[in-house]
Amino acid sequence: MKLSFYPGCSLEGMAADYARSIDAVFKALDIDLVEIDDWSCCGATAAHSLSEAMSVILPARNLSAAEQMGLDIVAPCANCFNRLRFSQQMIQKKVLDIPWPVTGDLKIHDMTRFLAQPAMIKQIKKRVLKPLNGLKLVCYYGCQMVRPPRITGYTDYENPQTLDRIADAVGARVIDWSYKATCCGASIGIGRREIGNSLTKRLLDKARQAGAEAVVVSCPLCQSNLDMIQKDGLEQPVPVFYFTELIRLCFSERRDPKWFKMHFADPVPLLSKINAI
Amino acid sequence: MNTTVMDHNMSSERRPGEERKFIGDRGDYFLNRIQGETNGNVSACYQCERCTNACPVSHFMDIKPHQVIRYVQLGWREDLLRSSTIWVCLSCEMCTTYCPNEVRVAEIINHLRNIAAHSSIAPKEKQLAVFHRTFLEVLSKSGRVNEFRLMKAFYSKPHILSEKIKSGNLKEELLLGLALLKKGRLKPFSTRSKLTKDIRKAYIQSRGEIV
Ligand code: SF4
Ligand code: SF4
Repeated sequence: MKLSFYPGCSLEGMAADYARSIDAVFKALDIDLVEIDDWSCCGATAAHSLSEAMSVILPARNLSAAEQMGLDIVAPCANCFNRLRFSQQMIQKKVLDIPWPVTGDLKIHDMTRFLAQPAMIKQIKKRVLKPLNGLKLVCYYGCQMVRPPRITGYTDYENPQTLDRIADAVGARVIDWSYKATCCGASIGIGRREIGNSLTKRLLDKARQAGAEAVVVSCPLCQSNLDMIQKDGLEQPVPVFYFTELIRLCFSERRDPKWFKMHFADPVPLLSKINAI
Repeated sequence: MNTTVMDHNMSSERRPGEERKFIGDRGDYFLNRIQGETNGNVSACYQCERCTNACPVSHFMDIKPHQVIRYVQLGWREDLLRSSTIWVCLSCEMCTTYCPNEVRVAEIINHLRNIAAHSSIAPKEKQLAVFHRTFLEVLSKSGRVNEFRLMKAFYSKPHILSEKIKSGNLKEELLLGLALLKKGRLKPFSTRSKLTKDIRKAYIQSRGEIV
């Protein structure tokens, strides 16, 4: 199977570890991810905040390149996924002139939903060497992957299940909680730290109260917000995993603590406690 | 107690909506404009406040989400463009998703933010507005947004540094930046997209310039 891959800017910087785990997981699953030729930024929140036209045009450049490759797209970042889908819908409505040839006909998958399809779950389960038994976690989806449903296509946007199914497939104990799709504050912390912190702190508190020892996410911004706030290690650490890091762990014979060196809340003690590393 | 919340609620200056305003024909005009540009179902709002209750940051806003919709109906344009609300809003889409009348609250707030960005009204939340602008500038220079370059560009903007000093946040921000560098999360060198001039051209055109 072959798909075009839209990494997004974070995967070259803040979320380089996410990129590495995705690479390992898709190799193991025999799925060829072909990076979109000369991809460019989707515009994220800034584009739609200041220029609605740019929020359609910027993702369109990547849709156009993927169409030339003729491959459906998979996006690991929730915000990129959301912006690509939004642009696709606006292209189909033909309300703006796009400087690149583009029809908006390709499928755009968010990576969690792609890997949570029943056939994929089967493939994942088949390759699990050592399940992550005993790992108690909550799945956190954030906003952009699920809302607004008319763009994301999620029907279970109040209680999404894709990460839950994947975490379950790798043997973790998934705990239900009510904050799956509550906002983490996105980039607001850069301008108004106290607003950002109030949102992330609450999420971590609720995760702890639910009895989770870790959080699993798919969005680079969610990961860094939930992880960064733990940099001083003042409270019980709650490691924040990318879901592909968990899959990679149980696919691998030799597991390297270095995979987690970019994390602030160090997952290694927790993983060794359950004999996963 | 968070001082920002106090400021919004108890400041002595006139609160938005406090003085009597005559609507005349501008109410209709602004309402029709926003309705047309966002397809937002503005007239269907019956002020149930569900949007505000679903909003994770409504307590940091001076005009609450349900009030935004009412203000649009009344044509109170300047109050909206001067509000903190349009910059504090996270576009998390809780409001739109839970509105019983399919009022597109988040899209309307976003559209107001667009209008404010192209107006002469100074943004109430300067840092948040400048951050968005900086992001687009870095994007149009290199096609991709490297976090290190973004933060450098943001802090080079006038007043950002001094505002951080004034709010007492500078030390915390610097320590965070250092910690991110140490973890290898901020990368001083980065890749670019090859055909950046395409993007720059689109960006310039989107601002109404002829190229
Ligand atoms: S939820 Fe909808 S109907 Fe209720 S106040 Fe908000 S916009 Fe109006
Ligand atoms: S989109 Fe904005 S106004 Fe709506 S709930 Fe989210 S933060 Fe509040």
